[in-house]
Amino acid sequence: MATTVDPKQLNNTLDDPAERSPLVLGGLDYEGVTDTAAAVWDAERPPMVWWVLLLIALSLLGLLGACVNHLLMAGTGVWGNNNPVYWGWPIVNFVFWVGIGHAGTLISAILFLFRQNWRTSINRAAEAMTIFAVVCAGLFPGVHIGRVWVFYWLFPIPTEHLAMWPNFRSPLLWDVFAVSTYATVSLLFWYMGMVPDIATFRDRTRSKIGKFIYGILSLGWTGSSRAWHHYEIAYTILAALATPLVLSVHTIVSFDFAVSQLPGWHTTIFPPYFVAGAIFSGFAMVVTLLVPARKLCGLENLITIRHLENMNKIIMATGMMVGMAYGIEFFMAWYSGVEFEQFALSNRAFGNYAWAYWIMVSCNVLAPQVFWFKWCRTTPWFMVIVCIFVNIGMWFERFVITITSLSRDFVPSSWSYFHPTWVDISMLVGSFGLFFTLFLLFCRFMPIIAMAEVKSIMPVEDGHH
Amino acid sequence: MANETNNSSDKELVGLLAQFDDPTSLLAACNNAREAGYTKMDAYTPFPVHGIDPALGIKRSFLPFIVLAVALGAVVLGLGMQFYTNGGGIGDWSTDEAAIFPGYRFMISGKPYFSLPANIPVTFEVIVLSSAFATFFGMWIINRLPRLSNPLHRVSRFKRVTNDKFFLMLEAKDDKFDASDSEAHLNQWGAVAIEEVNQDLTDTKLPSWMAPAALIGALLLLIPPVAIFSVYGSTNRKPRLHVVPDMDWQHKFKTQVLSPNIAEKDDPVYLFENRRAMRQPVEGSVRFGSLEDDSEMFRGIKKEFSGQAATVGLKSNVLASTAVQEEENPDQWITGFPEGFKVNEDTLARGKQRFEIYCSVCHGYAGNGDGLVNQRAIALAANGKASWTAAKSLHDPTVTDSVKNPTGRIYDTITNGRNTMGPYRDQIPVEDRWAIVAYVKALQATGITAPGAEATESEAEEAGEPEADESAEPAAETTEPEAEASEADDADTE
Repeated sequence: MATTVDPKQLNNTLDDPAERSPLVLGGLDYEGVTDTAAAVWDAERPPMVWWVLLLIALSLLGLLGACVNHLLMAGTGVWGNNNPVYWGWPIVNFVFWVGIGHAGTLISAILFLFRQNWRTSINRAAEAMTIFAVVCAGLFPGVHIGRVWVFYWLFPIPTEHLAMWPNFRSPLLWDVFAVSTYATVSLLFWYMGMVPDIATFRDRTRSKIGKFIYGILSLGWTGSSRAWHHYEIAYTILAALATPLVLSVHTIVSFDFAVSQLPGWHTTIFPPYFVAGAIFSGFAMVVTLLVPARKLCGLENLITIRHLENMNKIIMATGMMVGMAYGIEFFMAWYSGVEFEQFALSNRAFGNYAWAYWIMVSCNVLAPQVFWFKWCRTTPWFMVIVCIFVNIGMWFERFVITITSLSRDFVPSSWSYFHPTWVDISMLVGSFGLFFTLFLLFCRFMPIIAMAEVKSIMPVEDGHH
Repeated sequence: MANETNNSSDKELVGLLAQFDDPTSLLAACNNAREAGYTKMDAYTPFPVHGIDPALGIKRSFLPFIVLAVALGAVVLGLGMQFYTNGGGIGDWSTDEAAIFPGYRFMISGKPYFSLPANIPVTFEVIVLSSAFATFFGMWIINRLPRLSNPLHRVSRFKRVTNDKFFLMLEAKDDKFDASDSEAHLNQWGAVAIEEVNQDLTDTKLPSWMAPAALIGALLLLIPPVAIFSVYGSTNRKPRLHVVPDMDWQHKFKTQVLSPNIAEKDDPVYLFENRRAMRQPVEGSVRFGSLEDDSEMFRGIKKEFSGQAATVGLKSNVLASTAVQEEENPDQWITGFPEGFKVNEDTLARGKQRFEIYCSVCHGYAGNGDGLVNQRAIALAANGKASWTAAKSLHDPTVTDSVKNPTGRIYDTITNGRNTMGPYRDQIPVEDRWAIVAYVKALQATGITAPGAEATESEAEEAGEPEADESAEPAAETTEPEAEASEADDADTE
């Protein structure tokens, strides 16, 4: 559909009370949406830049694989985790990735329940990002257990070997249930949402292998109205289930810290603070990914500036929530009158990890403030830079929480400074390789835009096009 | 209009498919069809069209009730799992064999075995997971999907249904359906194109080779479980196969053994210089609870004679007894009982009980020296089968003499042994030794003179006389460690 783009229409960020701002630009009709969304998939071969990015991602993935192999062969001593910082980078990376993994379900589920139609263009990619981020997150505690070949001891499965059950009163076990439930439900939600679009691919593909694979994956979908009826109900139920789930997961992740007795961890503010941080970092990652992706895949008419602007507003709002939580932590420490808590917090801001704390504050609290200016939140290259800063800041948030409290525990004689090893660093870098490999494959082989949903929010026009 | 028709007999008409170009005209057609009396029809659209459910007469999905039922079941499942595995259980787990759901109780930080707040997170996750599965699979089952074959997919025009076109199908099963009438209706309602949908019955038959192939496949699949069960049910003398040996075999030295050469060269290197595989206590160190600094209590020696701190525990039995005896000063022994020990009915009863366990086998229940071991050993000695120094009667004047043999010395005899009697410090705790001393004094106070005392002594003289010097006879071939050389004792004290 070669429709000429009205340059005036490209700016859909203006709010006109008399008219709803369009979410699909370029005068696209239903077929135009399909053609645009499937352009990368339709292409005979992917663009060169895709190959270059995939090559980089695959080499980082190889690095990750080598590190995991080394870890399993040599044991967890290859990490920098040591007395008194027994939870080092692996838990930092875990919380970082799980946090990122929250945006997808939030966009799909919560914005769906709130009838935010602008979610339709971005929810698919965000959900995919969620799944891949949870894969990265699951990796770290997975290999952290040391003997990964008995990972099933985490689950309540009767084993002759162990002859006992998990301790259901431990936050770490809650984590196992929360993260595995979250991964499963996100996967179901993602896949179910994708079935009508996979059916589109099934009907478009010309290759035999494609017909077979997409035919299996689309489960024989015909778009029958009866099927749509049950499907929409099921989608709503899954959204209603995923909404409390997404809040529970990061709440439970925060329990890993909050239920322990360590100063700087043992606070009731952690669950809401962690959830706000998770949404914050997740949205930042979505923007970081989608701005280049919409450019490379030619999706500017579907993922419009208005979408990105809305995302940036949420980033700014959650960034301020996180900033408030940082402030409240100090208030709570002072108000509690507990000198250990007061020491932990003042040590955080002015102690030997002050550099990390102030990186965190400047990236998370100060950087998103630029989104008060319209130019900042509607200029793609600029918002990517800000969002990368947010991602860095959110990694440092987890680093600050984990490392500062552990390195200064109750006994001054055991105080020490944490030093990551090359394996720690390589695994963090390598986990990005895993993430981007999966995301690049997804962009090429799966429907990156929820086509059916985008079409359903387009205004119904009379007659034919 | 109907192209692609094939009138051969193995095709069956499924219905008429009409194409529309926009949702509005489809909606109108659906309403018209319903008013015209069609009931078995369905619309196919690229996205859910608002308002099509009432137009087609679709009833509201009952999926939410399925999910609700599963969610309620999951509450029970989630709580029950935790109640069982963490051993809340019903009934007393440790004693009651009839306890229901006994599980495996963890005592952790004194928390209750089953506490609802701590079990909420997992219960919640179980509910969400089960409900999500119910929603996902329930929806597909209600929609009768996945379906791998559908005559609709044979209509090439229908490929646009997942892109931008809208279809309405009137099914042939409908009573109202009539091929020509219905086609006229659809035209009248504004259909852009109409096609017959046929099911090719030959396509639905399985190829002839498939059934035997499936049978063979199923049989082959049975082999692994049968093999596993047969191995599981049989006995095997070989050790279990360990894929991952975990920590079953480790490089380690056991305690109380010599360290092997740990250098990988001829020049030997041992773990510790003294070739032991474990460390010995640092010299002068005292184990918890082993600080025996009260010499009256622990050695039966008056405080002014206590001298150096006792390190009895580190000496061998023989060395310890000789060392004490070499230093012996008749005035050093305490004559009463130490402060830490109270003589009363309880301690006497305790002393009687301990005496009858440890002492009576040689010294006899009344202390006459006629214990069963003693009798048997003397009988064997008479035949020349053993060398035996008769156990001493506790009523012997040398023993009862409280000047020569004060309570401290009796305590020392029990602790370190004397002459051929072995030491009992490792078997009998300190308080029990004093209790035995008290009981021995009580026995002596009864004034019994052993009926066989003379006989015992004369026999003892026969057997024990040659080894009068106790230092020369350290437990010489005695069959029992517990034997007291009365003659040697006398010689020593006089």
